[in-house]
Amino acid sequence: MSFQLLLAALIAGSIYALVALGLNLIYGTMRLLNVAHGEFLMIGAYVAYWGINLWKISPLLAAPAAIVLTAALGVLLYYSIFRRAMTSRAFVERIEANSLLVFFGVSVILQNVTALLFTADLRGYRYEEELISFGGASLPVNKIMVLIIAGSVCIASVIFFARSTLGLAIKALIQQREAAAIVGIPIARVNLISFCIGFGMAGLAGVLVSMTEQISPFMGFPFTVTAFVVIILGGLGNVLGSLLGGLLLGVLETFGVAFTGPGYRSIMIYGVFIAVLLLRPQGLFGPGRART
Amino acid sequence: MRLDLGVPLGGVTLATIAAAVLPFVSNDYIVGIGFTLSTWIALTEAWLLISGMAGYVSLGHVAFVGIGAYVAALSWQLLPVWLILLAAGAAAGTLALLVGYPCLRVRGPYFVILTFGLSELLKFIVVNIEAALSVSGRVLFGAPDLHDLFYMMLSLAWASLCVALIIRRSRFGAGLRAIRENEEAAETIGIAAPWFKLTAFALSAIIPGMVGALITMRTSYFDPLDSFSPRTSLLIITMAVIGGSDKPLGPLLGVGFLVLLQELLWANLPQLYMIIVGLLLIAVVVWVPDGIFGGLQRLLARSA
Repeated sequence: MSFQLLLAALIAGSIYALVALGLNLIYGTMRLLNVAHGEFLMIGAYVAYWGINLWKISPLLAAPAAIVLTAALGVLLYYSIFRRAMTSRAFVERIEANSLLVFFGVSVILQNVTALLFTADLRGYRYEEELISFGGASLPVNKIMVLIIAGSVCIASVIFFARSTLGLAIKALIQQREAAAIVGIPIARVNLISFCIGFGMAGLAGVLVSMTEQISPFMGFPFTVTAFVVIILGGLGNVLGSLLGGLLLGVLETFGVAFTGPGYRSIMIYGVFIAVLLLRPQGLFGPGRART
Repeated sequence: MRLDLGVPLGGVTLATIAAAVLPFVSNDYIVGIGFTLSTWIALTEAWLLISGMAGYVSLGHVAFVGIGAYVAALSWQLLPVWLILLAAGAAAGTLALLVGYPCLRVRGPYFVILTFGLSELLKFIVVNIEAALSVSGRVLFGAPDLHDLFYMMLSLAWASLCVALIIRRSRFGAGLRAIRENEEAAETIGIAAPWFKLTAFALSAIIPGMVGALITMRTSYFDPLDSFSPRTSLLIITMAVIGGSDKPLGPLLGVGFLVLLQELLWANLPQLYMIIVGLLLIAVVVWVPDGIFGGLQRLLARSA
């Protein structure tokens, strides 16, 4: 097993974990299928791009701005649409299908507004591309930075969900909504915070992606799809499962492509995805109970 | 025939006959719009069987369109056109029967994501088959002209609407609605839910397969990335929901509205068109959950 491949798998996996964690948080707490998740990633990527091109701000410094902006958009969505909709019986009865449609609308709007403002062209910037060699592998500095940042955010979120009161409250809400309300967890506030964390993580992931890849208004959709694959692997609503799922997908993708060829990437990913959905819909790491 | 079924069926048939004079009284541009309208009517009404009536929201209906298109591209000039259409419908129906049995056991968000994943998987399988055969896109020489294709698509739209109307008022349709409202309860009163769902799924696949074959003849070109584009699945849902996905006549409004909006804006302002579609979708889902059709009905009921 080559060390180089392992590092590549870790880098891809840590980004996937970051994107999927946010998506799963929003699904877990509010049962919303956020198909616009990739568009928030795209917004984060544009913040980094304009930051470095207009004001020569390093993407590392643009990251907090991207997180704040995407989290603020999340708050805006929450107050303008979901806070009201969640009280409507017709909406909640088919919340998955309804939220999917609303977020599809949001995603189409964000893509096309971005395309109108900045054109649909692919854009990119060069950032810390010199290679560093160690242990028989060589990586550009920007990818090492991606790995360190995404990896530490993932580890921090593990600690957050295992130790902090807020993290435990979010997990309680995911497991048992009514019971959580009874023991005094402020549902509305925890929903809002989950929205902020979820969208903010997408924004951060966007900054990291833009450091190594080209960006466009339509870059988000593949990330949304990958994030859904990851949270199916890890279990819908299982926050830590999506971290493991992300890493697993990174390994699967990197080694799979290395052994078969890039043409088979999508077949492999969707094949695993469908197999897990049919055989173990509760996810690979969850308890034996399927949520339907 | 019962009146509550006879009137809508008669109305739909009259409207279809009226639409059939279009090629005699207008130009190819208008007939092209008629073709597009018929395409989406056929697709949304077929989708309604499984997703509107039984409540299993399919985000992968493009798989059936794509498989029909692929059958047409493979059998082009080997079979006569009518046989190609039958083969495309049969292929789509068979695909639905094969994947339906395992897939219809999962519900809610899992079914939505699963159908999407399946359609994407199928897309990449076809892409890889074509790459292995070193074919990049297939051209269909000597495809039927626009007028003939329009008549065929119009017939499919008519058939799709009639099937939806008939099933909605049948015992079968009542069973599907019972499954949508509460599947366990439906089973305890003796509805064989797995068979109902599988039949509805297969029925909802056949016409999209034939539509796929006709679309490929219209463009005279088959490219798996276009024929299996997830955009189609999303547009089907959008049109059905904007119109109102509970009644067969609802999606007609959604289709008509979006196709005309597209004709007005797509050529010059494609981004504006998509932004309006997005805003509409959000507004309808949040404020008018029963769609334009349901909203109009309530307005009329209130003023009457």
